[in-house]
Amino acid sequence: MSESLLRVIAGVGFAGLAAGLAYWLRLGLSREILVAAARAVVQLAVVGAAIALVFEVEALAFVFVAVMAATAGLTAGQRLGALPNARVRALAAIALPALGATAVLLAVGAFDATPRAAVPTAGILIGGAMAATTLAGRQLLAALADETGEVEARLCLGDDARTALAPAVRRALRTGLIPAIDQTRSVGLVTLPGTFVGLVLGGASAEEAAATQLVVLLALLAVELAAAALLAELVQRAVIAPGERVRAVAVE
Amino acid sequence: MITAGLAPRVVAVEPGLAALGITVTLAGRRVLEAAALAVPPGAVTALLAPSGAGKSTLLRACVRLVEHEAGTITLDGTDVGDLDARTLRRRVGLVAQTPAMLPGSVADNLRHGVEDLGEDGLRDALAAADLDPSFAAREARRLSGGERARVALARALTRAPQVLLLDEPTAALDADSAARIGATLRGLAGRGLGICVATHDLEFAAAWSDREARLA
Repeated sequence: MSESLLRVIAGVGFAGLAAGLAYWLRLGLSREILVAAARAVVQLAVVGAAIALVFEVEALAFVFVAVMAATAGLTAGQRLGALPNARVRALAAIALPALGATAVLLAVGAFDATPRAAVPTAGILIGGAMAATTLAGRQLLAALADETGEVEARLCLGDDARTALAPAVRRALRTGLIPAIDQTRSVGLVTLPGTFVGLVLGGASAEEAAATQLVVLLALLAVELAAAALLAELVQRAVIAPGERVRAVAVE
Repeated sequence: MITAGLAPRVVAVEPGLAALGITVTLAGRRVLEAAALAVPPGAVTALLAPSGAGKSTLLRACVRLVEHEAGTITLDGTDVGDLDARTLRRRVGLVAQTPAMLPGSVADNLRHGVEDLGEDGLRDALAAADLDPSFAAREARRLSGGERARVALARALTRAPQVLLLDEPTAALDADSAARIGATLRGLAGRGLGICVATHDLEFAAAWSDREARLA
């Protein structure tokens, strides 16, 4: 039996354990866990094959990254249903900072400008941007729905719409950034992040793995803040109406 | 001197706030249809209607928090759509039914947007809303509903509005407090303010208003 197959079997075993535990605790999550695990198996198998192809045909790297960004935009957009054109706005908020930062990292030589380095780097940054966008966006939309009274009170006291929304925007950005800050603060103490683990397992030295992980982590801070801030800007543009009004938002 | 060919047009300028034929649709639902309201200076106008008839929407339309799709709203004869929204909201104060308090003290709330408000101005605004000066230091978000209603009134007065719109101002008050607010409003009207009180409290309206407007 190959080493890869053994790993898959071990992973599936743990998924079965999680499903069993969820059943025993009556969480009603067993089916969801198994479906998620099955999806992960299929998706990673497909991605593994696709990545292998990308490494052979370099031009496909652009397509692969575009698909990752589009999927992230769709996923985040689904979580921001109250926002008009949510998917497009989420895609813009995720792709611009994530791909911009990837381009900078490649341009300054932090990573080789090869699919082998660029695709995973872009993937990590897109994933971080997606999480920050979803968190900040949901927090902001919930605030707009729940805090109408405070926003209108500020408008009635002479604030312009952006000033009236500023406290809610700041709270949303803080919420969106908390995971990235915590991850950066606790790295090496609580968790060993994926890049570090992957590189070490792949045979890189611990020093090389740590340096690479550091670049990614610190870039994530900027990317996630930029993504959350960009989404907050797009939300504001969607809800601010002429005459310093703020349109109502209905959050499901 | 009048230039030939440009004869002056005489326009009857209605002082105060006037709304005519106001229609508002929110989230696809018609919440107000052809509503009218006049709030002349120096009087307390009671806006009477059952719950859900659109009183709050009409008041919010008057300060452009919601946009009306038909009708006109004027302030001293000028369409409110032609006024800068921030200027309009300083000239026409709106006190919501459940007023939101901003973070900080009552003084912070009263000084929001009028940072140069002095101690005298602060004290006068509190007194006008029947509040003791000691309220200035209280944490605004820890106040009771009735206290919030009075702080919101004081906060609106610090902008020296010419028209004051109050949405169910006595909803959170006992009879004595409501009477004190009524007397305060009469006093403000006596100083020339145009005041509109949206209420379903017919007793309060009869006791403290000079005129009535009804929404169907």
